[in-house]
Amino acid sequence: MTTAISVADLTRRYPGHVALDRVTVTIAAGSITGLLGRNGAGKTTLLRILAGQEFPSSGSVSVLGAPPAENEHVLRRMVFVREDQAYPDFKVRHALRAASWFYPNWDAGLADSLMADFDLRPDKAIKTLSRGMRSALGIVIGLGARAEVTLFDEPYAGLDAVARQIFYDRLLADYAERPRTVLLSTHLIDEAAALFENVVVIDRGRVVLDASADGLRGVATTVSGPVLAVDEFTAGRPVWNRRCLGSQASVVAVGQLDEADRARARSLGLDLAPLTLQQLVVHAAGLPTAPGAAHVPPPAKEGVSA
Amino acid sequence: MSTLVKVARFHLVQPFQYLAMTWIIVALGLAFSVAVDAMHASGHPVGAVVNGSAPDRVRYTGALAGFFVFFLVIGVQSIGRSLPFGLALGVSRRSYYLGTALFAAVLACADGLVVAALQAVERATGGWGVRLGFFRMPYLLNGPWYQTWLTLFVGLTLLFVYGMWFGIVYRRWSVIGTVAFIAAQVAALVAAVALVTLVHGWTGVGHFFTGLTISGLTGLLAVLALALIVGGRATIRRATV
Repeated sequence: MTTAISVADLTRRYPGHVALDRVTVTIAAGSITGLLGRNGAGKTTLLRILAGQEFPSSGSVSVLGAPPAENEHVLRRMVFVREDQAYPDFKVRHALRAASWFYPNWDAGLADSLMADFDLRPDKAIKTLSRGMRSALGIVIGLGARAEVTLFDEPYAGLDAVARQIFYDRLLADYAERPRTVLLSTHLIDEAAALFENVVVIDRGRVVLDASADGLRGVATTVSGPVLAVDEFTAGRPVWNRRCLGSQASVVAVGQLDEADRARARSLGLDLAPLTLQQLVVHAAGLPTAPGAAHVPPPAKEGVSA
Repeated sequence: MSTLVKVARFHLVQPFQYLAMTWIIVALGLAFSVAVDAMHASGHPVGAVVNGSAPDRVRYTGALAGFFVFFLVIGVQSIGRSLPFGLALGVSRRSYYLGTALFAAVLACADGLVVAALQAVERATGGWGVRLGFFRMPYLLNGPWYQTWLTLFVGLTLLFVYGMWFGIVYRRWSVIGTVAFIAAQVAALVAAVALVTLVHGWTGVGHFFTGLTISGLTGLLAVLALALIVGGRATIRRATV
């Protein structure tokens, strides 16, 4: 496994708050990683530092083997599309023409077909675009650049469900054709979950979860049924939260369940439902006292295909 | 194509602002000045819009000052919303700065040539037929064409990079920083004035400026422009978007 992005002990302080607090994370080359977390968790700051747009207060950053800041050898092999990207007084076609000059692997055909898919008109002034259409422009640049490291920050803010599906499909199709390293931050976790090979969850500037998506499957299970049966089943297991409604209870049990466990649950008349990625992230990021990582058993990472 | 040239082209990808708008403003200003003068000459004075009243003298409008302000403004804008997109395209701050300064020099060079040519036309047509000094300014732009061109090239580049520095200071430290930046310059001027007064040097200063030729002034402006480039380049190093 080659490493595309490696961040060690990265801290970014602003007056009054710490945006990133000793973040250490490694992203394998040729993978799609979801960067998840709540608003203000530090996702955008991390991406901006990776793209050389912001500077760390301390710690080290390496992208494609070198620190990215002011390093054009690295920067031209990387594209970063921001949700709040500012553009000059350009029309759409001006922005794309400029992008075509700076990205060595720029694919004009791909950009054109994406424009058609999104119904993005080249002669529109960017400042008159709706939020969704601005996102579409960012996606066209981000995919058209075909950069070895592709960073997306909330790439589809304001896009409708159809357009989002187009984005997922086109990203996967192009990724299959030309594998690259994609790091994508999003709030729409379950919708994008199928894309991710790895998941990094940040909360309040700290990494609370860093695991392969495969490793997370079955890491926690919602057990529901009669209170007594649930309590009997979960006795001695670490649990996240417990909800009771009358005689019914629902508990999130942490840890993999084996066949014997499942048989026992069936005999007790319990329902077992694996936690979705979104629920996991809510738990990892929502726990009042960090580090939440301690609550999530370290899932095996060997399932990651490099 | 080197990155610096790409950055210079980046500013021209939407050419209207930098190319068309300049000359639309100049053309409108000239048309207005000529019209006012024509009315004045035909016995319908419209007020003291133009300088000088003796009929045989060139009436300088000083309208090119607007041209100078324009360069200051586009210098600010070349950082403004353009820097975030430039950095998003994987350009380093260093390349963005130097490429934009290169663009400023090329634009100043080209615009200076056009003004020098229009100045020649102005002289040949007797001030557009109405003894108008639109493309001439006393002392500053009144010599041979190459002198006009060189002074404009240096002066416009200076104003552009000065505007860039303002844009960078604003990006890094916002309004408070910009105010402090202006205050620091005013303070430096006041300190210089105080120093000259303290050493009773005003006679020397007066002699220096009265003896200063336009070539000498252009040279001074070139040195100042280089100093501004050094300052802007140093300030953009830690700019974030």
